[in-house]
Amino acid sequence: MLRRRIGYSDPSSGKDILSNRSLCFIFICAFGLVTLLQQILCGKNYIKSAQQFSRLKGDETGNWTGPINFSDDGPVRHARNGRKRCFRQNYHPDSQISVIVTPCLADIKKKKKRSQRYLENYHGSFEFNSTACKGFRQDIMDIKVLTMVKTSELFERWRNLHMCRWEQNKEEASNFKMSLSRCCNAPSFLFTTKRNTPAGTKLRYEVDTSGILPITNEVFKMFPDDMPYSKSQYKKCAVIGNGGIIKNSKCGKEIDSADFVFRCNIPPIGDKYSADVGMKTDLVTINPSIITERFQKLEKWRRPFFKVLQNYNSSVVLPAFYNTRNTDVSFRVKYLLDDFDSQRAVFFFHPQYLLNVQRFWAVQGIRAKRLSSGLMLATAALEMCEEVHLYGFWAFPMNPSGIFITHHYYDNVKPRPGFHAMPNELFNFIHMHTRGILHVHTGPCT
Amino acid sequence: MLARCYRGKLSVWAALCVLVLCWFYIFPVYRLPRDKDIVEEVLRQGDAWQKNQTGIDLYRKLLTDCCDPRRMFAVTKENSPMGKVLWYDGEFYHSRTVTNDTYPLFVQDNPLQLPLKRCAVVGNSGILRHSQCGHDIDQADFIMRCNLPPLSKEYVEDVGTRSHLVTANPSIIEKRFQNLLWSRKAFVDSMKAYGSSYIYMPAFSMKPGTEPSLRAYYALADASSNLTMLFANPDFLATVGKFWKARGVHARRLSTGLFLVSLALGLCEEVTAYGFWPFSVGLDERPVSHHYYDNILPYKWFHAMPEEFVQLWHLHKSGTLRMRLGHCPPRSGGS
Repeated sequence: MLRRRIGYSDPSSGKDILSNRSLCFIFICAFGLVTLLQQILCGKNYIKSAQQFSRLKGDETGNWTGPINFSDDGPVRHARNGRKRCFRQNYHPDSQISVIVTPCLADIKKKKKRSQRYLENYHGSFEFNSTACKGFRQDIMDIKVLTMVKTSELFERWRNLHMCRWEQNKEEASNFKMSLSRCCNAPSFLFTTKRNTPAGTKLRYEVDTSGILPITNEVFKMFPDDMPYSKSQYKKCAVIGNGGIIKNSKCGKEIDSADFVFRCNIPPIGDKYSADVGMKTDLVTINPSIITERFQKLEKWRRPFFKVLQNYNSSVVLPAFYNTRNTDVSFRVKYLLDDFDSQRAVFFFHPQYLLNVQRFWAVQGIRAKRLSSGLMLATAALEMCEEVHLYGFWAFPMNPSGIFITHHYYDNVKPRPGFHAMPNELFNFIHMHTRGILHVHTGPCT
Repeated sequence: MLARCYRGKLSVWAALCVLVLCWFYIFPVYRLPRDKDIVEEVLRQGDAWQKNQTGIDLYRKLLTDCCDPRRMFAVTKENSPMGKVLWYDGEFYHSRTVTNDTYPLFVQDNPLQLPLKRCAVVGNSGILRHSQCGHDIDQADFIMRCNLPPLSKEYVEDVGTRSHLVTANPSIIEKRFQNLLWSRKAFVDSMKAYGSSYIYMPAFSMKPGTEPSLRAYYALADASSNLTMLFANPDFLATVGKFWKARGVHARRLSTGLFLVSLALGLCEEVTAYGFWPFSVGLDERPVSHHYYDNILPYKWFHAMPEEFVQLWHLHKSGTLRMRLGHCPPRSGGS
C-alpha cells in the first residue's frame, strides 16, 4: 500500500529511469575523476622514489655523503626549515644527472661533534647504564611522533644509540608482555585451533566483516588440536624481516643461533643469502597474494610451490581468514602438503587475534590499512619468547648511514603505496628497542 | 481484438511446431525395436559368431577415410601445433587456441604401438556383473575402458585387471574429486589402479570440461605418476559423431563406448566389446543395474544408447566385431 502511494506520487515514471541513468553516469564520472586524481598523485610519488633508487643502480652508493657539505649552523636555522625539503643536484661524470628529492641530509649536524667523537669505537662499546647511553636513549624517546623530526635526525640519534650495548629492561619487557597477553594472548589465540574454534563456530573475517565462514567439519579437521607454543617457551627468538638492510650484514650465524626463527612471506634463503639471513626457519608466513600471483592459486601445478616450501624446514602460517579471497588459497596449501605427505604443520592466523593486535597497535599510534606480517610476528614473538631480536626491519630507502638500499634483500619491488605504515611500525620498534623490550638489529653483525 | 491476439501468437505456435518436428527428427521414438525384441534377437543369435575379415577391412578403411584415428585420435604436438584453433565439438560455437600453456601438455606424437592385434573395449553395463569375463578380457593385447571404472577386488573376476586406455569424463573429476581444487591425493590414488595406461580425456569438447581436464594433467604430473594423459582431439570426436549420425545414431552426443569402439575398429585387427548393454533387463529376464558398480541412470536424452547398441549388434552379426553378452565361457574352455 505504501509503495503504491509513492508510485502514484511520482509524476513521471519514465523520467525516473532517465534520471537514474544520468545519476549512474555522474557516479561513473566521479569515480573516473577520483581514479585519475589518485593516479596522478601516486604516480608522482612513484616517480620520485624511482629517482631515488636510480642512483643505486649505478652502484655509487658509496659517494652519497660526498657532495654534502656540513655547514655548521645552529639549531635555530634547523628548526626554521624544518618542513622544507631540499632539492639538490648531484653531478656525476659517469652517470646521468639525477635530481634527488629527499629530506635534506645536510641537516645532519646537530650532534655532529658528539657522533664524530664516538664513531671510532662503534657498536656496543658503551655500557647500557652509562650516562652517555642514557642521554642517547632520552634523545630517541624525545621524539614522540615520527613527523616531529627529519628522517636524517632520527637516523643520527639511532646511530648514536648503537654505540651502546643493548640490554633487556626486565621490568619494561614484562610490563609490555603483560599488556600484550591481556589484549591478544598469542599462546592460545594466535592460530585457529580445535580448542579455540570449535566446529560450528561462525568465524568472522578480519576485513570482510560481512563475510562469515561457518566452521564445517571439513575445515575443522584442518586445525591443529591446540596451540603448539606456550608463553615464553623460547629463550631467544629472531624475527627476520625482508628489508634490504639485512643485505651484507653477515648476520646469518647469529640468526641461526636463535632458538626460534620467524620469517615473512617465504623469502628466498638460498646459498646466495644464507650468510646474511641464515638458514634456520621455524615459522614462515605466506601471503596468499604470493600464491595467487606466482602459483596461479595452486589451481594448476602444485609441485613448484611444494619445492619452494621444502627449502624451509618449518611450519607454515597463513592469514586464511583475512578476507574471503584468501580462504580457498590457504586451504589449498594445507591440502597440498597433505597430498605430498609432508609432515610440516599448516596454521591459520586467528582473525580475532589479528584484529586485537591491530587494535593494540592502533592505540600505540600505528594506523594503517593493515599491519605488516613482520609486526604480527614480532607481536607474537614477544609473547612466545623471552628475548626478541629483529633483523631486516627497516622502512626507509636508505640505511642509517644514508646509503641507499633495496626494498627487499632479494629484490627491489615496491609494495602498494598506502597499504602498510612501515615507517610508523619501524619507529615504534625503535622506541621499543630504546625501552629495552626488543632488540632491533640494523647494522652488520660481528 | 481476438484476431489480433491470434495473429500475435501465430509465430509462437509456428516456432513450437518446428521445434516439435525437430525433436521427433532427432529423437525418433518409433524407429527402435522394443527391448524385448532385442533380447529375443540376441538370444536367437546365441554364441554363434563368424569373423568376417572383409567387414573388418571395410570398416577400418571407412574410419580411416573419415576420421583418421591413427593420427587424429588424440591432441598431439604434431597435429595441433602452436596457434591451432581447437573447435569444441560439444559446444555450439566455442574454440580455444593452442598456446604456450597448453602446448607443452600434449604428447609428441601418437603414442600407441601400431598395429594393435586383439583389442577389448569394456563397457560399464551391469550385464558384466557375474559374467566371469575378467580372464577373457585380460587376454587381449589392448584393453580400453570407459569413464574410470572401479577395478577393485570384488569386480576382478568380471572385468579383469589390466587396462591400456581409460577414458575419463571431466564431469567425473568435477563430481567425485571436487574439480581437483582441494585435495588431489584421492584422485592420484584412485588412478593407480590403472597402472601405466593412457588416460584419455575429452578436454576440448565441452567448455566446463577443459579446466578439470588440464587440472587432472597437472595433478598426475605433480605426483610424477606413470600414467600418460591424452586429450581427445575434438576434430576426431566430431568426425566420428558425423560418421555414426549418417548410420542412424541420433543423439546429442555419442557415448564414450561408441567412440572407443570406433577407435578400436580403426586401430585393431580384432575387436571384442564387453559390457555394452543399455537395457534394464538382462538376457535371463532378470533386472540388470545400469553400471556393474552402481545403478545411477544417466541424463535421459543425452545419449542414445539403444540406437548405438543396435548399430553395434549389426556389426556383431556381420562379423566385424564381437560382442560378448552374458557369461563368458569358463576358463578351461576359453584358453
